[in-house]
Amino acid sequence: MSVRASRKALAAFALPGCITLGLFFLLPVGTVMTGALTDGGAFVRLVNDPVFWNGLKGTLIIGTAAPLFSLVVGFCIALTLARLAPKAKTAALIAVSLPLTFSGLIVAYGFILLLGRAGFVTLLLAELGFDPAVVGGFIFSPFGLGIAYSYYLVPRVVLIVLPAIGNFDRNQLIAARSLGAGAARAMIDVMLPQIAPSLVAAFCLTSAVAIGAYGTALALVGTQVNILPLVLYSKISETGTDLPAASAASLVLIAICVLIISLGEAVGRKGKASGA
Amino acid sequence: MTLRYENVSFTYPGAKAGIFDISLEIGKGELLAIIGASGSGKSTILKLLAGFVSPDRGRIVIDEKDVSALSPEARRLGVVFQNYALFPHMRLWENVAYPLKVRGVSKTERRNCAVEMLDRVGMKSRADDLPAALSGGQQQRVALARALVFEPQGLLLDEPLSALDASLRVEMRDEILRVQRASGIATLLVTHDQEEALSIADKIAVMRDGRLIQLGTPRELYETPADAYVAGFVGQSNLWPGMIRADGVVETGIGSLACDTRGHKPGDAVTVFIRPERIVPSFDGAQQSADAGRAGGYFSGSVAADRYLGPIRRIDLNVQGGLIRLETHLRDAVTSVHVPADAIRLLPAN
Repeated sequence: MSVRASRKALAAFALPGCITLGLFFLLPVGTVMTGALTDGGAFVRLVNDPVFWNGLKGTLIIGTAAPLFSLVVGFCIALTLARLAPKAKTAALIAVSLPLTFSGLIVAYGFILLLGRAGFVTLLLAELGFDPAVVGGFIFSPFGLGIAYSYYLVPRVVLIVLPAIGNFDRNQLIAARSLGAGAARAMIDVMLPQIAPSLVAAFCLTSAVAIGAYGTALALVGTQVNILPLVLYSKISETGTDLPAASAASLVLIAICVLIISLGEAVGRKGKASGA
Repeated sequence: MTLRYENVSFTYPGAKAGIFDISLEIGKGELLAIIGASGSGKSTILKLLAGFVSPDRGRIVIDEKDVSALSPEARRLGVVFQNYALFPHMRLWENVAYPLKVRGVSKTERRNCAVEMLDRVGMKSRADDLPAALSGGQQQRVALARALVFEPQGLLLDEPLSALDASLRVEMRDEILRVQRASGIATLLVTHDQEEALSIADKIAVMRDGRLIQLGTPRELYETPADAYVAGFVGQSNLWPGMIRADGVVETGIGSLACDTRGHKPGDAVTVFIRPERIVPSFDGAQQSADAGRAGGYFSGSVAADRYLGPIRRIDLNVQGGLIRLETHLRDAVTSVHVPADAIRLLPAN
């Protein structure tokens, strides 16, 4: 026997969500959109600005490389966690999830303390003969930024992928091995296709997070690395403020994120529909 | 090709469970069933042969070649799992063709082989379906086809029928036997179902606490079990503690019984064993008891339980000093029975 809620009750439950969505998403996006469109030349200025294109390129690179790296690391961690006893798994999951509780600025500060020019690891490596200028400069480079992003992208990957791996029937891998497949082949042929929807979803979510990330990037690299959030920042804060162009850049950033998240959702739904 | 265990021992890391000093051989075309209670080590035996775990001591030999250190994929053994372990994202023919795919067979050829194999198990018409669309029995057939398509050196069946309902189990049992006989392949069947083992195995190995208790044909195991455990595990039985009173007479809780006591001397403790179907209902038993006495093997008592099982009834008869279990196809009330001397076997005392 099922109990159906009345329309009024459903509306009452939906109301807080609708208000939040309206106030904190639709209204700001509407304002940004109005700002971009009222000045007819905003998009033109943006398109003609090489800094924007460099920023877009940098964003797409970091929005692909950091999630891919995180996906590989997170997948390996999830594989390990899935094999642990329940108590050990819970403890490990808490440890893995911890980075999610830190703000981007704290993460950046932590990386500077550890890997910056006077960082603990940098000084330690200097003792071994490594040039501190090179080692200490790494974290302020695009690759360093990618590593810093991975710090809070990896836990997201683990949390998304772990349930899929946990639900996977490991007997299938054993069966594949007995049928002649090596360990790697069995995983590629049998396991990966079945958990692919969750891998795609994890990639898309972490990609959207990486593309929109701002605090860590600003704290770590300032405006040395060209990515859209920092282009946006420069158009708001620096001399020569161009708010309509900043609004246009915001819309591009939102569009990219929406596109990626939609792709992840679509693949996830397809996976659920096919029972994978 | 023969599959052989030579003095194989294995214990799970951090545990005492495992198997100890197992030696077994499965000849070409032979079906050996391993039976035993949960935790007896029967599944470990299969894992060792399949290469899922490696022996601590002893050798696993396939076709006279020591494969103890080989990986599962290098052993060329077809395995059918309890839950079938079909790949849900692959169509049936792709599942069956997978062993050929990993061996580099072309797509056309492997599809042809897979469909032919599916035909042998009656699943050709479903070749393009996904496993989720199949019943348990159908999945079982596909798993069997997949395990045999690459002409393995041996077939390993890990509780293959335990997930099926009773009627389908009998049908699939015959199907497995038919396919196994047609393939002429050495086969290891792990099961907890002694009826399944008795009905299709050429030989049966009974395991207990990681050790091989008895190896023999189904008839040997049923008729002449090595001890009370095997007698109790394989089929139904009456097992009474007893003592040899004199040549040809054993004393039990229900009274003296005449039987062959060769190999024992008076005073020896034994377990008296008799199958329930060898107990004969006696409808003039009261008179015969009076005439022959208990030593004549006649007993009367009251019915403690009368179970109707269709073709037979399984009756527990309370007699003075104990309980006699019998099976009969007769429908009449049974209150007296005869325990024939030639049906009694003496087993070691517990």
